[in-house]
Amino acid sequence: MIGITAFLALTVTLSSWNVERSGAYFFLVMLFLGPMVGVFSTLNLLWFFIFWEFTLIPMFFHIGIWGAENRIYAAMKFIIYTHLASVFLLLGIIILYLKTHTFDFVNLAGISLDPSVAKIVWILMFIGFAVKMPVVPFHTWLPDAHVQAPSPISVFLAGLLLKMGAYGLLRWEILLLPETTKQFAPLMAFIALLTIFYAGFRALAEDHIKRMVAYSSINHMGFVLLGLSALIPAGISSALYEMVGHALIISLLFMIAGYVHHKTHTWYISELGGIMKKIPGLMTMLVIGVLAAVGLPGTAGFVGELAVMISAFKYWGWIMIVIPLSSAISAGFFIWMLQRAVFGPLRESLSKITFSELPLIENIPLAMYIGAFIIIGVLPFLVFDVYNPTVNQLFESIMR
Amino acid sequence: MDKVFLTGVLVIALTGVLLPVVNRIFRVSGIPGVAIASAGYLISAMFILSSEEGDILKNFFVSDGVSRFVGALILLSSWLTMLVIYAIKEKDRFVNELIAGLLLSTAGALLLISSNNFLSLVISMELMTMPTYLMVLFVMTKPSIEAGIKYFFSGAFAVGTLLFGVSLLYGISGSLDFSAVSTALNGDFLGIIALIFVLAGFGFKMTAFPFHFWGPDVYDGTCPGVASILTGILKSAVFIAFMRVVYEVFSKSFTKELTVLFAIISAITMTLGNLLALAQKRVSRILAYSSVAHAGYTLVAFSALSVPISTAGIVYHSIAYVFMKTSAFLAFAGLLYLWGVSTMDEYKGLGRKEPLLSALFLVFLFSLAGIPPLAGFMSKVFVFLSAVKAKLLWLALLGLLNSAFSVAYYIWIAKQMYLEDPVVEHTPKKGNRKLILLSLAVSAITLVVFGIWINPILEVSAEFVSSQLGR
Repeated sequence: MIGITAFLALTVTLSSWNVERSGAYFFLVMLFLGPMVGVFSTLNLLWFFIFWEFTLIPMFFHIGIWGAENRIYAAMKFIIYTHLASVFLLLGIIILYLKTHTFDFVNLAGISLDPSVAKIVWILMFIGFAVKMPVVPFHTWLPDAHVQAPSPISVFLAGLLLKMGAYGLLRWEILLLPETTKQFAPLMAFIALLTIFYAGFRALAEDHIKRMVAYSSINHMGFVLLGLSALIPAGISSALYEMVGHALIISLLFMIAGYVHHKTHTWYISELGGIMKKIPGLMTMLVIGVLAAVGLPGTAGFVGELAVMISAFKYWGWIMIVIPLSSAISAGFFIWMLQRAVFGPLRESLSKITFSELPLIENIPLAMYIGAFIIIGVLPFLVFDVYNPTVNQLFESIMR
Repeated sequence: MDKVFLTGVLVIALTGVLLPVVNRIFRVSGIPGVAIASAGYLISAMFILSSEEGDILKNFFVSDGVSRFVGALILLSSWLTMLVIYAIKEKDRFVNELIAGLLLSTAGALLLISSNNFLSLVISMELMTMPTYLMVLFVMTKPSIEAGIKYFFSGAFAVGTLLFGVSLLYGISGSLDFSAVSTALNGDFLGIIALIFVLAGFGFKMTAFPFHFWGPDVYDGTCPGVASILTGILKSAVFIAFMRVVYEVFSKSFTKELTVLFAIISAITMTLGNLLALAQKRVSRILAYSSVAHAGYTLVAFSALSVPISTAGIVYHSIAYVFMKTSAFLAFAGLLYLWGVSTMDEYKGLGRKEPLLSALFLVFLFSLAGIPPLAGFMSKVFVFLSAVKAKLLWLALLGLLNSAFSVAYYIWIAKQMYLEDPVVEHTPKKGNRKLILLSLAVSAITLVVFGIWINPILEVSAEFVSSQLGR
């Protein structure tokens, strides 16, 4: 995950080349990335929480200062929502500490807890992680935050902040309390399904490009949760893979959506149309990104979704037959969006605007995303091999 | 007998007494005054830190880890306050008298946190409070006079109830010594009455429900520099003294009653403080109500008095509180002085006009809100940790919800400062900005340090607990 952090940081920096008040902007970017690396690398629960909380503040200012028209509302909603969730997480951590007297992951793993206490801890921590991921009952902050945030920051939101939730769920719940997680796995799977379908349908109904991408992002996080709920190494691995793939694909989509808005001054799909004729290069990239998000074989989206589905079938059986349907939904809303916004006849209102392709320096990150998700889509073992040994080893040690 | 601690207190008090005299005779003010007072602080801190363990004046006072550590930090915080007051009131004729009041009050606070006898407790509390009666009236505006009278009457009332409780305790035990009173108490009706009166006296001082009403009016009415002393140093010292009284006198006979009582009071205090803070328009009133809410958080730790870790919660919260609340008020004072802004609407866009001071203000607000890695976060962790450990899960949950809720109004100030466009047109006053910034920066660094370096606080509170058990 640190690799992903560094990769996205590089691309965001390149694409924010022309931002105003750059000093404070990059100060906050660094302030955000520091704790981010901390979250993904610490083995101490208390430090995990400290880093976790600290990422909120730079993000708040990013959304609030450089965001779109309704930025203040979105920033306030973002911070109050996620802070409230953190409170539950903190309470879970405190109870866990009182029972075990340690914050250290190595000491905590495999510790035997009273089942009722473990259940309380699990639920409290799950609320904390679930809001961050976000899964459906707790998701409403995300579309607002995404819509109002500047596009590079949307990349951080989708690519890193959401992953924190899934990562925390994996490290501090599944690996720490495997028995309790097993009891709650049906709940996780149910929430995951709810997330996948609800977000899918919402995206289908959405006219606002960025909102649509945000809902598709929630949809993908549902897949991640589904992969995690299948408590076998393959499930965990597939969830991790989906996280990596999703980070790359969604980042690309957000960047392009942001650029389209910048030029046309509209977010609404119904007001767009035929921009393929104007900026073919950028729109080709958009099409590639959309196809990857839908799950075209050869891209990371396909491998991730397929791996999650396979492991879900393995663990949950025939009930997961409904999952491929959701892929159909996501294909539906993405392709429909393409048809309305990108192809078709050029709109009258748009014909007066002079479009231009992106400057080279902002094209580089987009190309990097595409290159990365095609490479890991064709050669998925590149990603799997990085953490598979770790996942298997951890699983063996806790399932003993 | 260890007189080094008392020497430290005397040094700070004498500096306070001599400062106006020196000023009147030699016409020194401004920077020389700062230098004289700073020297007093430095010498006093050296004495206090080097004082030995043990009783002072036949158990009137006690010099232990808590009194040394908290005493040194109160001195530091008081010194920072003095710097800002000098920076703001430099031109005022009576600035040295104001500083003298601060120094005397600090001496009282130092005695209060180390007092071990009801007589010395009341005397040092009066020494701490008396100068502030005058200081509240310092600016002599109409709201300030109203605040001064309110403060005087509530303070007098508090001491009256406290003394009544103490006299009952004397009637029961025939002694004023904490340990002697503690052994004489056996949980009878008279003891409960005495307990209630003592609690009421302290409740006034720490603005706990139902004695909270005077706090915001006074903090808002007087000049913010003085308010920072009232709400920061004075309240923290009262927390520590209250900890001594509760743990050394009452905890043996009344553990169960106190747990219930504190739990209810703390729940109401913090909820009320946070709710009312949310409704305020003036930044100083927001800070004042947040100070009420913080009294509630500290009482959460008090309600967990059956477990030893609660002292860590109290000490930690008092230390974090003295820095973050004092400095938040001082930052407000600085902004008021430089830009003349005091309401939420006027705060719009200040982050762009006054970047450094606003950023420091933000640090204090975040610490008050309990965002890591600042001391305010760690202290809350210990407070709620002790509540969970004392099987008061509902209280911990309520406190955490309150804490999350309070983020709303702290972040609202941040929103006004950073996300809105500036509305203040005029240029700032030319003040001694560097002095203000220096003081607040030191405080911010202290908050970060104590947000990460938790060992010394845990050590002194553990030492306090073990000395209690050894009795």
